[in-house]
Amino acid sequence: MREQQLQDILQHMPAGVATLQGPELCYGFVNEAMHTVLGAPVREGQPVAEHPGTIPADLLEVMQQVFQSGRPYVAKAYCIPLPAAEGKKPTPRYFDVALEPVREGDGPVSGLLLFAVDVTAQEEARQKAHHLSIETRRLDTRLRVLTETVPQITFTVDAAGKYEYVSPQWYYFTGQPPTADLNAIWPLLIHPDDRLRVLYQSDSARAAGIGWSYEYRLRRHDGQYRWLLSRALPELHAPDQAVFWHGALTEIHDQRELAEALRRGEAELRFLADSIPELIWTATAEGFIDYYNEYTAEYSGLTKEELGPTGWINLLDPSEQAGAARRWVTSIASGEPYEGLFRMRRHDGRYRWHIIRARQLADERGPRWFGTCTDVDDQHRLREVLQTQYDELARTNRDLDTFVYTASHDLKQPVLNLRGLFEELRRTASFNDPEDKKIVGMVDEALGQLDATLLELAATVQDQRGLSAPVETLDLRSVADEVLLGLRVQVQESEAVVDLDFSAAPTLTYGRANLRSILHNLFSNALKFADPERPPHLQVRSAVTETGQPVLTVQDNGLGMELPGRPAPVFQPFARQHPHIAGAGVGMYLVQRIIASRGGHLDVTSKVGQGTTFTVHWFEN
Amino acid sequence: MIHIVYMSRAVRPLSDQDLQALLDQCRRDNAARNVTGVLFYSHGNIAQLIEGEKEVLEPLFDVISRDGRHSNVVKLVDKPITARSFEDWSMAFHPLEPSGFEALQGFLLPRHLPPPPSSLSIADAMLVDLVRLAVFGADAAPAEPEPAHA
Ligand SMILES: Cc1cc2nc3c(=O)[nH]c(=O)nc-3n(C[C@H](O)[C@H](O)[C@H](O)COP(=O)(O)O)c2cc1C
Repeated sequence: MREQQLQDILQHMPAGVATLQGPELCYGFVNEAMHTVLGAPVREGQPVAEHPGTIPADLLEVMQQVFQSGRPYVAKAYCIPLPAAEGKKPTPRYFDVALEPVREGDGPVSGLLLFAVDVTAQEEARQKAHHLSIETRRLDTRLRVLTETVPQITFTVDAAGKYEYVSPQWYYFTGQPPTADLNAIWPLLIHPDDRLRVLYQSDSARAAGIGWSYEYRLRRHDGQYRWLLSRALPELHAPDQAVFWHGALTEIHDQRELAEALRRGEAELRFLADSIPELIWTATAEGFIDYYNEYTAEYSGLTKEELGPTGWINLLDPSEQAGAARRWVTSIASGEPYEGLFRMRRHDGRYRWHIIRARQLADERGPRWFGTCTDVDDQHRLREVLQTQYDELARTNRDLDTFVYTASHDLKQPVLNLRGLFEELRRTASFNDPEDKKIVGMVDEALGQLDATLLELAATVQDQRGLSAPVETLDLRSVADEVLLGLRVQVQESEAVVDLDFSAAPTLTYGRANLRSILHNLFSNALKFADPERPPHLQVRSAVTETGQPVLTVQDNGLGMELPGRPAPVFQPFARQHPHIAGAGVGMYLVQRIIASRGGHLDVTSKVGQGTTFTVHWFEN
Repeated sequence: MIHIVYMSRAVRPLSDQDLQALLDQCRRDNAARNVTGVLFYSHGNIAQLIEGEKEVLEPLFDVISRDGRHSNVVKLVDKPITARSFEDWSMAFHPLEPSGFEALQGFLLPRHLPPPPSSLSIADAMLVDLVRLAVFGADAAPAEPEPAHA
């Protein structure tokens, strides 16, 4: 019964058990597991060597030796492949095989006990581990080669800040011997100005369990401090608990110097731009101003924010804004340079003339615009003043011509009279002295010359100035505007108000140059003799009298004057009512002469301290 | 009342459907909040002008600027205005399939864009012109170059 029980247990054991009997090693007891090991059914009494199966020859050999020597043998992880179907590769299986000699009592070995325990899984695991370790070694070597050939210094530091590893580059860089105490020396090589910061930064990064990235100067073997970038990342074993930091040091000295130089260059340029007393600005490719120099703020009284990307347009004279904006958009679209002359408002509200210029710079950083606004106000005003002075000179010249013309004209009659009287004298008086006769001849000759000179003078001026030019129908308004344009500086400076009303008689048939001369003299007189207490107010009106004759009145609110009691020509050449006020004194005389020469006359009424009114009767004498 | 103008870049090119959806959503939400304005889109370039009450517009701009569909949002203007200028506008872009969009309400082909309304200051009108130029390029701008008189 017990025998049977034992048999059952052996039969179902998860390890292969078999007995081999006699020198032939014939199968005795073979349990189920052993059948699986052998891969094919075996009969009792069949010698192992005869069984065409799975047991390799070397194991058969060993079995023989164990039988003969009586020494047990154990083969670890012995491979007994599972026979496979034709053409297929047999599956490797591994067994721990134990061979135990069996003796009957103390007698010679009579057989063997064969144990086979399947260790395929363990063996495979072991083999995998082996491959893995080979692979790890390979990777390790690769990593080492890499870390030692890259230009960076690589390092590993532990949570306490102790360097576990540093690549040989560190030694090349610092020139320290391989025996140097890394942890003691490293901090000493950091630039004194950076040391505390670096130690603090890496300390706090390690305390927080995070990586870092900072720059500092490290002393090179030649004693020069070079800028390095230190970057490291934690290696996390447990979440949030870093054990090591791995990192690299990259030399960034040259980049940093370059960036520094660039920054310095930029700062210097900006300083330059901010020091120039001219409006300087830059704009993006899209045309939005992104920089105004300090002078712009000073000039406009507005900050960069107040001006904004397009606010410069608000500084221009309102009438010029739309055109300037359109041209800017056109320039941005085409890339064409921008240029224009504009009035720009200063912080005190005054407009000054500026030339605005902008050009596009296109380089690898993409297009940008650089602009300047140059103050040309003084030049502009100087030109205006010069123009006014030129106009004035031309006027005076013309007036002098007119004067010469009228004077020569006026002198004609007296010369004529003189000649008459002289003829009379010659007829009635007798000259006995031959010397007297000679003198009479000379007087006659001189009179003739005088006459000819006057004629010539009149003719020359007449030709040049067209003073005797044929009359034409003139628009009073446009001639008056023209004259006021010539006087605009005086009008602006005195803040004069000029009312023109030609509705009653808009046109006049007259010589153009004459009309201009008359209006100019009347207007400039009124401005000149203004009362300093009040801005001049001129009222200019045309009218038609009851008799159908055209008249013109020019009324001012100026100083006024004392009029002589008798109805005589009011104005003599070079006679001046207000000697303290500049002027040739010839103007009003001319006006009178011109008007008279065309068959008209000039009336004047005046009250001192209130003003003067001139009335031109064009044709009514 | 204020208006805000910004420019940005789409993170991915927006398809006609994307734009249509954006247009619909903007029209609906903006109408509800009394926001008006115009949005320009072309080849990933975006510019938008929005006008409305300050209390509405500033939070809206915050939302828009954080919208993941675009980035590089650069605000150009944010300032008080006295009147709206874009009540009848909504959006202008180059659709890939123009036919379906021509009839769409609130949509305009870039070349059909009228000049900026005269209710804008000249500085703001110029800004809108520049923004439009930046989004659509020189070809889409209504060509009315003034003869340069230097
Ligand atoms: C370019 C662009 C412009 C936008 N403009 C508006 C707009 O004008 N009004 C609006 O309500 N949402 C606009 N949005 C959408 C908002 O960013 C946001 O997605 C929307 O308000 C929905 O927000 P909600 O989900 O919180 O309601 C815009 C988005 C983009 C990408």
